[in-house]
Amino acid sequence: MEGRFVLDDRPIPYRAGDTVAVAILRAGEHPTQGGTVCLAGDCGNCVAEVDGVAYVRTCQTPARPGLVVQRHPAHGHPPLRGAGRAGLTNPSPRLRVERADVDVVVIGGGDSGIRAAAEARAAGRVVELIDAGDGSEAVAIYAGPTVIVRTPQGMLHLTCGEVVVAAGAAELQPVCAGNDLKGLMTVRAAIQLHAAGVDLGVAVAIGEPPTKVPCMPLAGRLLRIEGTERVSGVVTRDGEGGEERATPCDTVIVGLGYAARDPLARMAADLPVSLVGAAAKAFPLPPAPTAGTICHCSGVTVKDVEDVWERGFRHLELVKRASLCGTGTCQGAACLPHLRALLAERSTGIPTPFTARPAVRQITIAEAAAGVYVDAFRRTPLHGEHVRLGARMDRFGGWWRPWHYGDHVAEYWAVREAVSLGDVSTLGKLLVSGPDVVEALERLYPTNIADLRVGRSRYALLLNERGHVIDDGMICREGPERFVLTFTSAGAGHAEAWVRDWIETWGLRVHVLDRTNSLAAINVTGPLASELLGRVGLDPSPRFLQHVHAAICGVPCHVMRLSFTGEASFELHHSIDRSVELWRALMSQGRDLGIAPHGLQAQQGLRLEKGHIIIGMDSDLDSTPRRLGMEWAVKMDKPDFVGRGALARIAGLSDQRRLVGLTTPGPAPTEGSPIWSQGELLGHVTSSFDSPLLGHAVMLGWLKPAPYPDQVKVDGRIASVVAPPFYDAEGDRARA
Amino acid sequence: MPELEQLRGLRVVCPPDALEAASWTGQSAVLRLAPDDALAIDATDVDVALADEHALIVEERGFVGAWLTPAQLVEWVVPHIEWRLSDARPALAQGLIAGVPAKLWLSEERVLLLCATAYAHELAERLA
Repeated sequence: MEGRFVLDDRPIPYRAGDTVAVAILRAGEHPTQGGTVCLAGDCGNCVAEVDGVAYVRTCQTPARPGLVVQRHPAHGHPPLRGAGRAGLTNPSPRLRVERADVDVVVIGGGDSGIRAAAEARAAGRVVELIDAGDGSEAVAIYAGPTVIVRTPQGMLHLTCGEVVVAAGAAELQPVCAGNDLKGLMTVRAAIQLHAAGVDLGVAVAIGEPPTKVPCMPLAGRLLRIEGTERVSGVVTRDGEGGEERATPCDTVIVGLGYAARDPLARMAADLPVSLVGAAAKAFPLPPAPTAGTICHCSGVTVKDVEDVWERGFRHLELVKRASLCGTGTCQGAACLPHLRALLAERSTGIPTPFTARPAVRQITIAEAAAGVYVDAFRRTPLHGEHVRLGARMDRFGGWWRPWHYGDHVAEYWAVREAVSLGDVSTLGKLLVSGPDVVEALERLYPTNIADLRVGRSRYALLLNERGHVIDDGMICREGPERFVLTFTSAGAGHAEAWVRDWIETWGLRVHVLDRTNSLAAINVTGPLASELLGRVGLDPSPRFLQHVHAAICGVPCHVMRLSFTGEASFELHHSIDRSVELWRALMSQGRDLGIAPHGLQAQQGLRLEKGHIIIGMDSDLDSTPRRLGMEWAVKMDKPDFVGRGALARIAGLSDQRRLVGLTTPGPAPTEGSPIWSQGELLGHVTSSFDSPLLGHAVMLGWLKPAPYPDQVKVDGRIASVVAPPFYDAEGDRARA
Repeated sequence: MPELEQLRGLRVVCPPDALEAASWTGQSAVLRLAPDDALAIDATDVDVALADEHALIVEERGFVGAWLTPAQLVEWVVPHIEWRLSDARPALAQGLIAGVPAKLWLSEERVLLLCATAYAHELAERLA
């Protein structure tokens, strides 16, 4: 004996050259609960957990000392390793991915594969030959074509112009009663086991017998295999109508024919993938099975498939989906010929093989995720400042943003009563100019553009063709034919594409430059904001909805006077390389005014008190301006704009939903809470905040008409339906 | 992997023919990000406004980058690229590098790896 490994907490001896499966079979065991072994990697009948990795084909795994093999449970799935907290916090090291680009990938290192590779090389093409014998397994083919290969070093992703599958042919496995017992093997497996010195006991051979393996050939057709757990005998029949004959034995060797090893080609329809050699041969189908397990991978019996057929599923792809036959680890390598035969017997033709899905070998999550990166989240230039100030950073709209700096209520009061800084660098920012820019913006926006004077700005919704609100922001006129447009942080990317697409569609002469990542923006807001900015270079201060260019603390800024918080607000747009300098100077100059930064948590409450919506949070994909209570932002007297036609068509229809304001004695209900009225579910809360100033909770939420009630129930409490804003209805503070 | 440093230059958006005819001052590389969009690294002036009064010409500070040798490109960056890298030189390549939107300016002698400053930390961490 060469050494030992562990199987189910017991030592198993192995010899030099043994695979794990061969060593297990030599010990009189079976790698799974039973079923035919092929020892060629074609089926899933020898899969086990090896060193913590489930579904490993033990017939392809060399035995070595220290290996820990655990058989899968008889029913259900092996336990998910690493699902506990420890597993998640101690992830495995990233798997290495090699990438290469070649002309031809040949899969299979047999005669036909070597010949195909040689021919391609002779034609001057760069060829990569993948041979499982070298430890490299092609597990999937994707568009490209891209061949995914598992190698001893990690993963190999090969892009190529052509794939040649030269994988040979797999031996058919028997489908009959008793085919899940231990003691069944194919001819090639018998030869391999005999050569390895494994005692097969009393062996019989059905069909083509193996050479040089002591066994008794049996004539006739295989009817069933008998035994309890292990094979004790086999029943055959000589010809149609002949007598059944039972033969006692320990091992049944089946030589029933072959099927092309084509799963890789079957997952690559419409790609330049070809089959050569035995993999390209059209082997005859076996007789239609009448009993037994047809798909060991998914535990599907012939009876299961017959039931699916009786339920009306006729197409092979549908039978596969309904029964799960062929959906397991071998993707039909073992069951497909039998399934096709079964359906052919019940219909007029032989069904085309079903599509295989990646991967043809069970791969680990690490192998599947190799070379894949999680989404990248952007940082504003003030990220370090926020962290230094103790901010809790979180991800919003593709950016890292400060949620709070430790006390969102104190941040709220800094805005309402003093002055505060907010990082709004994440806003989308487009610079547009051109002789047709006014025409373009008139068509894009539902608000008037031509009458917007230079130096003025206007709030605008962005609508799609259906009249649904897809974004909002400001339009600032910088010159007769030059504007700055702002968009929401999360919607900026889509809005840019939207603007570019329409301008191109209309063929208008407009230049577009996205400045989102190049400009930072600091919102200086609060009743003392004007005083602070007057100290540092903003003189005179722009009035509400004006914008100017000025040096603030020596930093060139585009200053936009607007308000999202409900207080006087100035957005200072500036080059990102001056952002930290500007932030620190403002914090320093505003110290005696009680300046403090505010995070998103405070900002969301401040804007909610003003009834300002957040697109995507308070709006749905089908929210029209009317449903949002924002018809004031739409000028239907304009001749045309994107969405106008749809809004005109639905103007006469009744309102199906409406975003409303709600108040209730605190604490604030959870966002998403259902809204009830007289036992009927009418909608849900989209935004909710405990207003420190008002002393109760304020909310926005969707209501269905029942008709629209004055009072509803949220979180088990009475809530009043009120028209927002909840604070400074006249907007005096924003204009102060 | 060299540190990603802030790049300075000019960003110009104007008709493609005006960009073709543009004369730059001080540029070390001109990257045509789109037919009508150029980023001129280290440029301090451009005469394109003469051809198009609506041209957008702004100082650009929104990118970081690192100059690499072709060998460093192969060693540090190429393993993180899933797409086909052009053999043409000079060439601009744009796409995900280690999952981060980034660009490569490829010349025979050297390569500029660049990305928006907002992604600098992600790219640096993933290539480290």
